[in-house]
Amino acid sequence: MTRTSRSFRFAATAAVAALGLLVTACGGSGGSTGAASDGKPVTIEYWTWTLGAKSTVDAFNRTHKDIKVKFTEIPSGTEGYSKLSNAVQAGNAPDVATIEYQMVPEFASQGNLIDLTKYAGETVKTKFPKPVQSLVTFGGRTWTVPYDVAPQLLYYRTDLFKKYGIAVPKTWDEFRTAAEKVRKQDKNVRLASFPKNDPALLAALAWQAGGKWFGTQGDAWKTGVNDTATKKVAAYWDGLVKDGLVQTFTGYSPEETKARAQGSTLAFLGASWSAGGMKTALPDLKGKWAAAPMPNWGTPAVGNYGGTSYGVLKGSEHAQAAAEFITWLTTDKAGVEARLADLASPSSALPANADMRKVAAARFDTSYFNGQDLYALASQQADTIVPGWTWGPDQMDVYTAIQDTTAKSGFTAGVEAGEHKAESGIESRGLKLAE
Amino acid sequence: MAAPLARTAGPPDARRGPAGPGGATQLRRSQRRAAALLITPFFVLFGAVMVAPIGYALWMSLFQERSSGLGFGGTRRVFAGLANYTAALSDPGFRASFAHIALYCALYIPVMIGGSLALALLVDSALARAKRFFQLALFLPHAIPGLIASIIWIYLYTPGLSPVLDWISAAGGSWDFYANDHVLLSMVNLSAWQWTGYNMVIFYAALQAVPREVIEAAVVDGAGALRTALRIKIPMIASAIVMTVLFTCVGAIQLFTEPKLLNQRGAPSIDTEWSPTLFIWKAGFVQHDYGLAAAASLLLAALGVALSFVVTWIGNRWKAAV
Repeated sequence: MTRTSRSFRFAATAAVAALGLLVTACGGSGGSTGAASDGKPVTIEYWTWTLGAKSTVDAFNRTHKDIKVKFTEIPSGTEGYSKLSNAVQAGNAPDVATIEYQMVPEFASQGNLIDLTKYAGETVKTKFPKPVQSLVTFGGRTWTVPYDVAPQLLYYRTDLFKKYGIAVPKTWDEFRTAAEKVRKQDKNVRLASFPKNDPALLAALAWQAGGKWFGTQGDAWKTGVNDTATKKVAAYWDGLVKDGLVQTFTGYSPEETKARAQGSTLAFLGASWSAGGMKTALPDLKGKWAAAPMPNWGTPAVGNYGGTSYGVLKGSEHAQAAAEFITWLTTDKAGVEARLADLASPSSALPANADMRKVAAARFDTSYFNGQDLYALASQQADTIVPGWTWGPDQMDVYTAIQDTTAKSGFTAGVEAGEHKAESGIESRGLKLAE
Repeated sequence: MAAPLARTAGPPDARRGPAGPGGATQLRRSQRRAAALLITPFFVLFGAVMVAPIGYALWMSLFQERSSGLGFGGTRRVFAGLANYTAALSDPGFRASFAHIALYCALYIPVMIGGSLALALLVDSALARAKRFFQLALFLPHAIPGLIASIIWIYLYTPGLSPVLDWISAAGGSWDFYANDHVLLSMVNLSAWQWTGYNMVIFYAALQAVPREVIEAAVVDGAGALRTALRIKIPMIASAIVMTVLFTCVGAIQLFTEPKLLNQRGAPSIDTEWSPTLFIWKAGFVQHDYGLAAAASLLLAALGVALSFVVTWIGNRWKAAV
């Protein structure tokens, strides 16, 4: 008995000692990155999923001696943001990451972002339009630097629209009529597919209709995920789904792409950035696509579907260098040109900064769209983005609630669940909710 | 392994006695050291990957992140006591996730265990030809990583991609693998495909250990193949059956990949907190509520332990009865 227990004690002591070594080893590696301020180049980590990222980083590293950027591709959407917030929690986050506008309040209020006012506040204030500034400025502080605006656009097959004898719908009423007309001619073909798993698309359409999911009132949050405008949009799409006028493929899935490639979906609801990936996703349909303004509710207006900005994550020891890289990415001609230099899938994002917009427009290869000036269309649409939209501090959770309930019982029920989650999420974190 | 250990253990009084030969004590000490050295890696790993994370989770589960106003002034960690535990237990989503798993088990365990037992008995029976081939062929699905298997099955389930659905509609039928009434069956099918062969191999191996004399005696007494299987073979591999049921239960409460992928593919009734692990994943990684995620994880672990005890207890009683 004594024998076993003593050797157990020995083993346990050895184990604890080894564990201690392990812990110190882990702790030791963290501090080694700080010693780079004496002339040697600083290396910053950059995680993103945006198109043209590799060519951008290569161009930056070619032209900068004092800062080297190491680029890692991460998934977009929930998975990507989970990865980022976990990395912050674990203390091994990258210095720079792409944060969509919809995630800025959430990331900032979770304490995942470094306040960039000191490094880039001036840049944001002087180089970006007011409505875009308001998407990255909260509590009087600048959290991220904007890159693009993402006015929604309708992409459609010119050849098939002709074949089915439909004109490009200008309003949502016309859209419905066109959808009916297509279905009547071929039961296997639909005008469009409306995913039940992409609440960001629903948000953009609610934005267009004048909805306001979040807002601030003093130091309190206001919520309106189920406001009148949003309910109108939800009911519209519930109707189209119920009447079988649109498909409901999972968004960004192989079956959705397959239906577009086969011509059984004639159009899709996208944004300025959607064009970039089409060359690789649908190479055989070159010259058969065109873009048009998103149908509206009677007056020209559009929502922002996505849109990216760049932030410095908590734990970064090179905030200054990181901010310099971000400034180059978003407001330097070379940065924007490099983003469009990627041959396979160049970015088609519409820069928020006016000068950069010209740079990007001049660089974008329009051959896929039969020479259509996509940037001119997107610019003109960007001017009609409805002002006053604010994203929430628990946006991802709200999205998940909408998605779960929509899958079961439709969009109208989905936005109700979203509103419920918006309120409970704000309160459970101790944030203030306006009465 | 057992024999030398038994020898060195020796009678305790001989070790302590002053008359004991000095050489033997020396030997024992060095052996002691060797044994300690050999088991140290286990304790290091056990401590690093089990005890430390559980301790950390326990610590995390006692705190909550709080902010104030709009929330842009930073977050602070406050001691919350058991608030995360009560929050998890009172969350209808968390509670429902266990009901989902119970329903899944009620369908899955009989199908999978019954299926693999039947296959093992068939392969073991004198009638079966090409035993090796069947063993390997049936085990093969398990060699495919679970995630890949799920992706392949989901491809087969998805309208617009699936050739299976094309055949069904070509034959004039229709089937929706994701429909509320069917999705659980689709999931059971996926898991059963992966695990039936694996458990069959375990049962088959256990059947090889059944003494042939016993079976011969049964045959001499006039028992047919079916009777031998039900009355002799199954009772004699009871331990293996209990063990596989235990592993299956513990595996089932950790179900993640299949519902996660089905959720992503838009199966309406599989929501983002369908299983306990999905709930935990969402709490930690979507809601950034690490305290709630830690509390829910520990509750799940406690359930796993409790379940293991219950299954083992029932199994032992069954083994004693047969």
